[in-house]
Amino acid sequence: MGSMNIGEVGKGTKLIFDNSPWQVLEVNFVKPGKGNAFYKLRVVNLLTRNTLEKTLRGGEKVDTADVTDVDMQFLYKDANGFVFMDQSSFEQMTIPAAVVGSASDFLLEQAECKATLWNGEPIVISLPNSVVMEIEYTEPAVKGDTQSRVMKEAKLKGTGALVQVPIFLAIGERIKINVESREYLGRADK
Amino acid sequence: MNDERPVVRSSGRPVVVWQPHATVDTLRERARLVGRVRSFFAERGVLEVDVPVLQGGANLDPSISPLAVAVHDGRRWLPTSPEHPLKRLVAAGYGDVWALHPAFRRGEFSHRHQPEFRMLEWYRCGWDDARLLTETVALLVALTGFGGGVEVLTWRAALIRHAGIDPVCASDEDWRQRLGDEATAVTIDGHLDHNLAADLVLANLVEPHLGRDGWTALTAYPARLAAQARIRDGVAARFELYRDGIELANGYHELGDGGELTARLTAEQAQRADAPDLDQRFLAAMDAGLPDCAGVAVGFDRVVMLALGLPAVSATMAFPWDRA
Repeated sequence: MGSMNIGEVGKGTKLIFDNSPWQVLEVNFVKPGKGNAFYKLRVVNLLTRNTLEKTLRGGEKVDTADVTDVDMQFLYKDANGFVFMDQSSFEQMTIPAAVVGSASDFLLEQAECKATLWNGEPIVISLPNSVVMEIEYTEPAVKGDTQSRVMKEAKLKGTGALVQVPIFLAIGERIKINVESREYLGRADK
Repeated sequence: MNDERPVVRSSGRPVVVWQPHATVDTLRERARLVGRVRSFFAERGVLEVDVPVLQGGANLDPSISPLAVAVHDGRRWLPTSPEHPLKRLVAAGYGDVWALHPAFRRGEFSHRHQPEFRMLEWYRCGWDDARLLTETVALLVALTGFGGGVEVLTWRAALIRHAGIDPVCASDEDWRQRLGDEATAVTIDGHLDHNLAADLVLANLVEPHLGRDGWTALTAYPARLAAQARIRDGVAARFELYRDGIELANGYHELGDGGELTARLTAEQAQRADAPDLDQRFLAAMDAGLPDCAGVAVGFDRVVMLALGLPAVSATMAFPWDRA
């Protein structure tokens, strides 16, 4: 674990506070009238995604977090967790289900994603903002009503995740889903 | 430490922004304001001077970190303001002088800070801080067109009025209550530092209220914040001028005692891990004797920002730090 002067911290710097890794989103410098300088940081916790404002004194040392992002491809699931392949080294890495979390609902075999490693250990799996999935099962479609805001449940192929979709959709259709909000965004382009 | 990979063109060169940041209209207005500064001082008989950008020694203002430059015969220092050479001219008997000069401060970034900016600084022989405050307001009114009169408030009165705390007799608990979670930033080894707390409360709770209906000058700073101002009646004989919550100017009735000044700068230097070089030619000039005078430094980019209603000092610059 390294350290740096607070004055060298910029947007994107990864730091350790309270034994957790945080990424700096914003730095603001304040220094009233020849008084002490302060740095006001907005940081996001890389484990929980909580954001926090943090004020530090000018001249303070801060601990840097060894955090890197690696491009991964999801291969398959086994008893130990989810097996990924590092896209640059082609080495395989098994990541426990607890780390993959709700991303597993939209993680199809062969899908590309990003793994965030802290001290070499995976802490977060990030998918693109939206993914294309196929409907494995839903109640029969209500035809003609393509403007409807009325929703029904649909089960997604490959993961079995349940999402809400408009009632005009049918089994076998490919749809776009927002990963973060789980919202239906539209039919996928053919 | 930033491991974000730059986007690379097929030619192998990174994709960068080469275009200026400020609009051409902003730069025209900025040039017009520089012209007004020039005529303001010409009418008043203050001499415009050029001074070095690479100084032989460092400015040593508290909490301001200067940048060093490696040169053929050692290192030189970028000015954090043109204070030293301007005062050497005053000490040499050259009379009233002004400069609009590049200034550099390590690590200063916000919508009202840039690591490189322009300082407008001038010195008036035989004047005190109160008289110089009047002239500073006159210049800023001429540049911005903002009126509204001048409210003069001592540093202590400003904390009492706007933060409801008297810095002279406040308890740890009083400061903690004003600072909330941020109290950790002013706590060293479990001990809450009242000086640090006052600085942070001033930034958080006082400054945003200053200069809202006109100009506000804070005066009578504690002696620890004197920098190069003289001490009068136990407080620093200096002012800071605010408009719309933004500090624009910082003026002193200058300390004339060379021995005292050397002691202050040597004490400041001793605290610095990077051991910046003392500016020996400046100290020699102060030993030779600085005539009774007052001086003020104005953040020129902030004045342009305010005059043009821009959201950040970077918007007043053709090439701010991240495009320089």
